[in-house]
Amino acid sequence: MMDLNLVIYALNLAAIYALMAIGISILWSSVGMINMAHGATFAVSGYAAWLVTGAAKPIIAATFGKTAIASFVMATTLVGSSLIAGALCGLVIFALAFLPIHDKPNYSVRALIITLALNIGTVQGLLWMFGPRNRGLPKIFGFGRWEIFGAKIRYDQAGTIIGAAIIMALTLGWLRYSRRGLEVRAMMQNAEGAAYSGISRQMTALPVLMLTGALAGMAAALLSQTIFVSPTSGAIPLMKGLTIALLGGLGSVPGAMIGALLIGFLEAIVGAIPFLGQRYVMFATFSFIIIVLIIRPRGIGGLLDDTRE
Amino acid sequence: MSERIYYKVGRRAWQIKGKPDGLSLRSRSRVPFTNRHWLKWRDVHNDKTLQRERVLVDKKPLWWVIGLGLLALITPFLPNSMISVASIFCIYASINVLWTLIVGTAGIFSLATLAVVGLSGYVAAAANVYLGVPWPLMFLIGPAVGLVAGAILAAPSTRLDGLYYALLTMGVAEICRVFVSQLRALTSTGGAITQVDSFIPADWFLQRPGLLLGFAGAFLLLLGALLVWRLVHSERLGLLLRAASTSREDEAFSEAVGIDFRRARLMVFIISSSALGVVGAFYAMYYRSMSPAIFSLDQMLLLFAMMVIGGLGRAEGAVVGAAIVVLIDKGLIELGPLRIILVAAIMLLVTIFAREGFTGAREQFRDFRKRKAGERRARRTEKGGEAMPEEATEVHDKQELYYRRFNKRLRERLKLLITPALISEHKADPLGHHSDALFRVLNFFRRAEMADKYIIMRMKDGEERYRIMAISGVRGMPPRVVDDKEYDALNDAYHAVFLLRVNDLLES
Repeated sequence: MMDLNLVIYALNLAAIYALMAIGISILWSSVGMINMAHGATFAVSGYAAWLVTGAAKPIIAATFGKTAIASFVMATTLVGSSLIAGALCGLVIFALAFLPIHDKPNYSVRALIITLALNIGTVQGLLWMFGPRNRGLPKIFGFGRWEIFGAKIRYDQAGTIIGAAIIMALTLGWLRYSRRGLEVRAMMQNAEGAAYSGISRQMTALPVLMLTGALAGMAAALLSQTIFVSPTSGAIPLMKGLTIALLGGLGSVPGAMIGALLIGFLEAIVGAIPFLGQRYVMFATFSFIIIVLIIRPRGIGGLLDDTRE
Repeated sequence: MSERIYYKVGRRAWQIKGKPDGLSLRSRSRVPFTNRHWLKWRDVHNDKTLQRERVLVDKKPLWWVIGLGLLALITPFLPNSMISVASIFCIYASINVLWTLIVGTAGIFSLATLAVVGLSGYVAAAANVYLGVPWPLMFLIGPAVGLVAGAILAAPSTRLDGLYYALLTMGVAEICRVFVSQLRALTSTGGAITQVDSFIPADWFLQRPGLLLGFAGAFLLLLGALLVWRLVHSERLGLLLRAASTSREDEAFSEAVGIDFRRARLMVFIISSSALGVVGAFYAMYYRSMSPAIFSLDQMLLLFAMMVIGGLGRAEGAVVGAAIVVLIDKGLIELGPLRIILVAAIMLLVTIFAREGFTGAREQFRDFRKRKAGERRARRTEKGGEAMPEEATEVHDKQELYYRRFNKRLRERLKLLITPALISEHKADPLGHHSDALFRVLNFFRRAEMADKYIIMRMKDGEERYRIMAISGVRGMPPRVVDDKEYDALNDAYHAVFLLRVNDLLES
C-alpha cells in the first residue's frame, strides 16, 4: 500500500514542476521559443521576493503587529513581488530574444541561444551582486501540519499544492475564455493562419512571455518555502521543467501536467526506496524520460508534426 | 557644368596576381596521395585590362597557416600561465571542431560531446591507474570508448527530432555526472581519478618544460582535429550530407536520388565521437586527472558559447570562438563572475546581429554592401534602354552597361532633333548634303545593330519596284518582309526606310 505521505510529497513536487513545464510548453507552441532563461527568471523572482519582503518586513510589523492580517499581507507581498519580477523578466526576454529576431531566419535556434546567454549572464550577475550565499524567505504558510486520513501535510506543502493549482486553473481559464487567450490558442494551433487572420505575433508574444515569466515567479515563491534562494537555484527547476515539457510533448498543456505528475511520483518513490535513495533521483528521472522518448518520440501528448501539417 | 566626381574603378588593387603568358603549360603540385592541389589558383580574364591573370580564389588556407603558425611560434616565448591558456585553447578548439562536425556537417544537435570526452577520458584514466595500462595505449582505449559511446548515442538520433534529441543528450551528460560522482571507488576524491600517467614526465608537471610539452601535444591534437574535419567535411561523407543539410525537402530529395543521408549522418557522428575519445584520453593525460566537472552543464554551455560566437557549423568559427572565449575566461581571471557575463553579452549581441557568428561577419557585410549598392543603383537608374539593377549585376561585361547608358542618352538627344522640317528635308533629298541635325540622326541610324536593320529589295532585275525588308540578324534566317507597300522610285524607298527608323527611334 502506498504511503499517503509519499503521495503528498509527490503532489508537492508535481505542482512546482507543472508550473515550470506548462510555461515552457505554452511558450514553445505559441511563440516558438525554447526559453532557457526560465531558470534565470525563477532565480530573479526569488531574489526580488527576498529583497521586497526584507524591506517590507519592518513596515508590516509596525502596521499590523503580529496578527493574522500581518502574515496575510506578508504572503501577498511575497507572491506579488515574485509574480511581478517574473513578468518583468518576461518583458526583458521579449525585448531581447523575441523582438529583434522574430522575423529573421533560424529564429528558434537563435532564440534558444539568446535565452541561454541571458540565463548564463543573469546567474553570474546574481552571483556577482548577492554572492553565493543561500537566502531564506519568510515562511508565508507558517509552521505546522494537518492530519488528513492519517497523513501529515506540512502547511507549506498544502500551500504549494493549492497555490499552484489555483494559478494553473487561472492560467488555463484565461487561455480558454479570454479574447487574448483565444488569440494565443490560435497561434499555438497554426501561427501562419493566425497571422493571416489578423492576429499580431508581437502582441500575443508579449502577454505569453509575461505570463510564463509570472508562472516561473510563482514557482519560485512556492518552492522558496521548501528550499533556499540562491543564484543557481533556477538550474534544477529549469532542467526539470524542460524535460517534463519534453516528456509531455512540447506544446501540449495536458501532456505537461501528466508528465509533471508522473515525474513527481517517480521522484518520490525512487527517493523512498531504501537502496536507491535521493542520490539516484536524477538518474532515474532521466532514464525514464529517455525510455519514454525512444518509445514515443514526440512525448506523451505530442502530436506528430506530419499529422499537424 | 557642375563639377564631376570620379570614383576609382575596381577593388583590391593590392591583390597579388600572377601573369600567365598563355603559352607555357601549368604545373601545379598536388597533395601527396590525393589529386587535390595545395592552393586554389585560377586563371581569369580581366575585363578592364583585357589581360589574363592568375588569382588565388580561396585564401582560407593562408589564413589558417598564418594563424596556427603564429600560435605555434609565439607561445614558447609567453609566460607560464599564458602557455597553459594556449594549451587549453587548443584542447577546447579541437573539441569544438569535432563538435562542429556533429552539429554542422551531420546536422545532429547533440549536447553530449563533453560527455563523450569525459567518458573516454575516465575509462582511459581508470585503465591506466587501476589496470596499469601504459599511457600510449590510452590513445587506443579513448577512441574505442568514444566509438561505443557514439554508437549508443547515435541510435536514437534518427528517431528523435532536433530539440528532443538535444535535451536527451543533455540528460545523458547529467546521468554520466551523477553516475561518476556516485562511484564507490572514487568517493574519497569526490569522483575524480588522479595520478594518471602521462606523456609529460611526472617531475616536469606544471614546470615550464612540461607546460611546453603539453602545449606541443595540444597543438598536434588541434591539427589532428582539423585534419579529421577536413577529411570528413570536404570529402565524400560531407558532400553527401551537403545535399540533405538544410530542410526536410532536401532530405526527401537526397533520398530520392539515392543518398542514404541517415547512414552518412551516423557515420559522421561515430567518426567524430571516436576522435573525441582521443581528445578525452589527451585531456586525462594533460591534467593527469579526470574530474566530474567535465560533465557539468556550465562547461558544456561555455563550449557552446564558443561555437555560437565563432559561427555555428564552421571549423574556423569553432577555433576563433574558442580563442575569444578562452582569452576572456582564462586570461581575464581577475574579473571574477564579470567575465562570464561578458561572454554571455558577446553571445547575445552576436546572435542578435550576426548571421553566422564572427567568421560569417565578412560575408554578411559584403551582402549588406551589395544590397546597398543595388539600392543606390536603383535610385539613380531611369528606365528605358538602360539595364535594370537586377540585370546589371548579371551582365558580366560592365562596358556593356555603360554603352547602354550612353546609347540611351544619345537617343534622348536625337529625339529632340526630329521635327517636320527635318523629315521634309530628307524627303526632298535623301542622299544629298544635309543639315547638321539630319546628319546626326542619319549617322545614328547607320550605326544600328544588324538585327532588324532595314534593307531595300528590288523586286525584279531592271524594274523600278522596291520593297522594304528587315534583316533577321540570325545566320541562315532570311530577311522578313516589313509591309506590302511597293515603291516606284529608289528615293521614295530611302525615305520610307528613314520614316520607319524615325518611328522606331521615337518609340524606343
